[in-house]
Amino acid sequence: MRRSPSAEVVAAGATRRAAAGGRSGIGRLVPRLPILGDLRLGRRLGWVIPVLIVLVVAIVGYNARAIAQQRGSALVVNLAARQRALVERYTTDVLLVVDGFRADPEESAEDVREPVDVLLDGGSVRAPQGDGSRVEIPPARDWRVRRKLEQDRRLIDELIRTGDRLLEGGRADPSYAADVTRLRVLSAQLSSVSNDAAREITQQTEASISRLVRIEIALGLFGVLAALALGLLLRRAGAEQAAQFRSLVNNSSDLITVLAPDGRIAYQSPSVQRMLGRGAAELVGTALGDLVHPDDRDDVNSSLTKLVEAPRATDTFGCRLQHKDGSWRHVESICTNLADDPRVNGLVLNIRDVTEQAALRKSIGDLLHNLARRSQGLVDRQLELIDELERHEVDPDRLQELFRMDHLATRMRRNVENLIVLSGVEQRRRWSESVPLRDVVEAAVGEVEEYSRVQVAGIHDLTLAGQAASDVAHLVAELVENATSFSSPTTMVEVSGGPTGNGYVLEIEDHGIGMSDADLAEANRRLAEPLAADNIAGSRMMGFHVVGRLAARHGIRVQLRHHWFGGVTALVLLPAALLGSAGEHPAMTPPVPAGVMASPEPLLLANTTGSDWQPRAHLPLRRHAAPAPDRGRDADAAAEAGEPVE
Amino acid sequence: MAWTRARRRWAWAFALVLAALALAVPLTVARRHEPTPSGTPVNVLLEDFKVGRDAAVVPAGTVSFRILNQGPTTHEFIVVRTDRAPDKLPLQGDGLTVDEDAPGIDLLEEAEGLDIDDRQTLVLDLAAGSYVMYCNLEGHYLGGMHAALTVR
Repeated sequence: MRRSPSAEVVAAGATRRAAAGGRSGIGRLVPRLPILGDLRLGRRLGWVIPVLIVLVVAIVGYNARAIAQQRGSALVVNLAARQRALVERYTTDVLLVVDGFRADPEESAEDVREPVDVLLDGGSVRAPQGDGSRVEIPPARDWRVRRKLEQDRRLIDELIRTGDRLLEGGRADPSYAADVTRLRVLSAQLSSVSNDAAREITQQTEASISRLVRIEIALGLFGVLAALALGLLLRRAGAEQAAQFRSLVNNSSDLITVLAPDGRIAYQSPSVQRMLGRGAAELVGTALGDLVHPDDRDDVNSSLTKLVEAPRATDTFGCRLQHKDGSWRHVESICTNLADDPRVNGLVLNIRDVTEQAALRKSIGDLLHNLARRSQGLVDRQLELIDELERHEVDPDRLQELFRMDHLATRMRRNVENLIVLSGVEQRRRWSESVPLRDVVEAAVGEVEEYSRVQVAGIHDLTLAGQAASDVAHLVAELVENATSFSSPTTMVEVSGGPTGNGYVLEIEDHGIGMSDADLAEANRRLAEPLAADNIAGSRMMGFHVVGRLAARHGIRVQLRHHWFGGVTALVLLPAALLGSAGEHPAMTPPVPAGVMASPEPLLLANTTGSDWQPRAHLPLRRHAAPAPDRGRDADAAAEAGEPVE
Repeated sequence: MAWTRARRRWAWAFALVLAALALAVPLTVARRHEPTPSGTPVNVLLEDFKVGRDAAVVPAGTVSFRILNQGPTTHEFIVVRTDRAPDKLPLQGDGLTVDEDAPGIDLLEEAEGLDIDDRQTLVLDLAAGSYVMYCNLEGHYLGGMHAALTVR
């Protein structure tokens, strides 16, 4: 159905919006999140996921920071608490030394300074677990703590100065008693101040932990709310998307069918009502094969069987499905094996109705065929006339002119026959008995205008099944024609053969300029997958399509390869099923089209052998070279390539 | 004129701010109107390690001690009636703190745990006599944190 330009603009805009996730800014990132898969949130919902991500990052970051801080805080509290014990030890050490006992007040002095210095200025201290490791402590930031610690440090300095005086003066010093009292008072003050600082730090740590817990609870609640909101929004978005998908499926002109592993229909899109006049519900549970045309069932079964064995593989096939009114609809199906996907668990078929295209293709094929048949009849009559003239002509120059006319007419006939091949119509007449392979090859060579440049050698004494003889001769003629056309007139084209494990290979080698890799690949693709006649328009490789179609009829494989010294080698693999030994079959007596050949010899090249073969000069060899079945003048299968296939 | 969604949003925000102000202002004002203590005021300043006061002699009757701890550490404030000199109060066995249960020492009131910048008011009915104000944390009294008060 055609759409108006404005509708197309709107649709294009919608497509762009859909591709961008339907939102702008940060929301555009949302559809790219792998967690969402193909799910796309609407414009108003897109902010939820970025907010959730920011929230999660904030919670994790805050937790990490808080944990690090609390770990440090615990050490700080421990450090502050140690201060009092260190002061008392220092005081005791000083008094012991003054009283003549052994002690080390200098080391104690260093120890007593360390905690307060670290707490105030930051630094590392020995870990409390006593394993020798050191722990980094950040400088105190709270002003209350700092003031108390600074007072602590002042008192420590004074304590140590007093201790130094006592150590220097001893008991004999006049100020001994006052210094001892001062030392004890300072020690007591330090204990008080240290306790105060430790309490302050402890309170702050408790407050910090309490704050942390409150924030964690708030963040957790917020996170839960955000997750709930996200869940609801995702569910809503999923529902919208599912509705959109259902709408697409329901309104699609194609069928979407899911086949269970047992071949029964597990799901059928409602569009089947339009295509086959059947309700989706009535098809679910039935076998797909019941709808397929009996002639197509084997192919469909074969394709599906192969597909079932290859998970995730895709295949295409065409067949006919029966409409409820009894008519047959031509369809093309793309089938994907999703049996390993638990959401599908089967083969998904996307089926398109191509009945109109099939009818059009058949119409074109019929048209081509009719035109070709008419032309073929005219060309055959023309060849008869030329042949008649050749027989009665004794002037060598005029005979030569007649031979040239004969060639041109033969090439026209090959062109016409190419059209018949491309139209898809099978040859109606075939040989009933086998034909010597060498005769077939030489007949094909005889159809080529530059047959004198072709050297046939080493073809074994085999026979070719009669039903394939005409097509093989046509096929080889096309390839030889191609080889002579695209090589220098001074070079030879060699045709040889040899057995292989599963048949017989004919090799046609030229010494021309060769083909580019891309052209060679394209040619081989055409040989393997020839297009239908209605798709071939504009193709510059029409000859390869013809060869491909002829080969496909008989299971013959044709492949082009680069030759190691330049040029191209065409390999024609004849399957063993088409071959037989020469002794099994009588000499070929092909039916000769009436009026085409007056000579009693059934095959013009039948008497030639191998490399010393030379065309017989007195007859126009090309058009009668192929063993032709008795099919009448207008159905002569010998064709002529009107243009090079490369 | 119909309001747009953005305008409505701003209006809501403005209304919320007004409501918050209406609640916060009266509470703030109410906190500033603390009752004025009665009696003779004595402003006391605690710091390491001394006790300052703006009056050494006050008339007998109700005395309001307005205490401010300037730190830098925590202190306490104790008022005892005694005829002893401020630096001659009896000490406990540890030799570091005043023995408030000793004879000649009459503990009247104390304010504990005054942190930096903490303020507290003690209202006492004081008869004529000699009083000592001090901090009895370890070493503070011995460090000089005491002062005399005479009530006439």
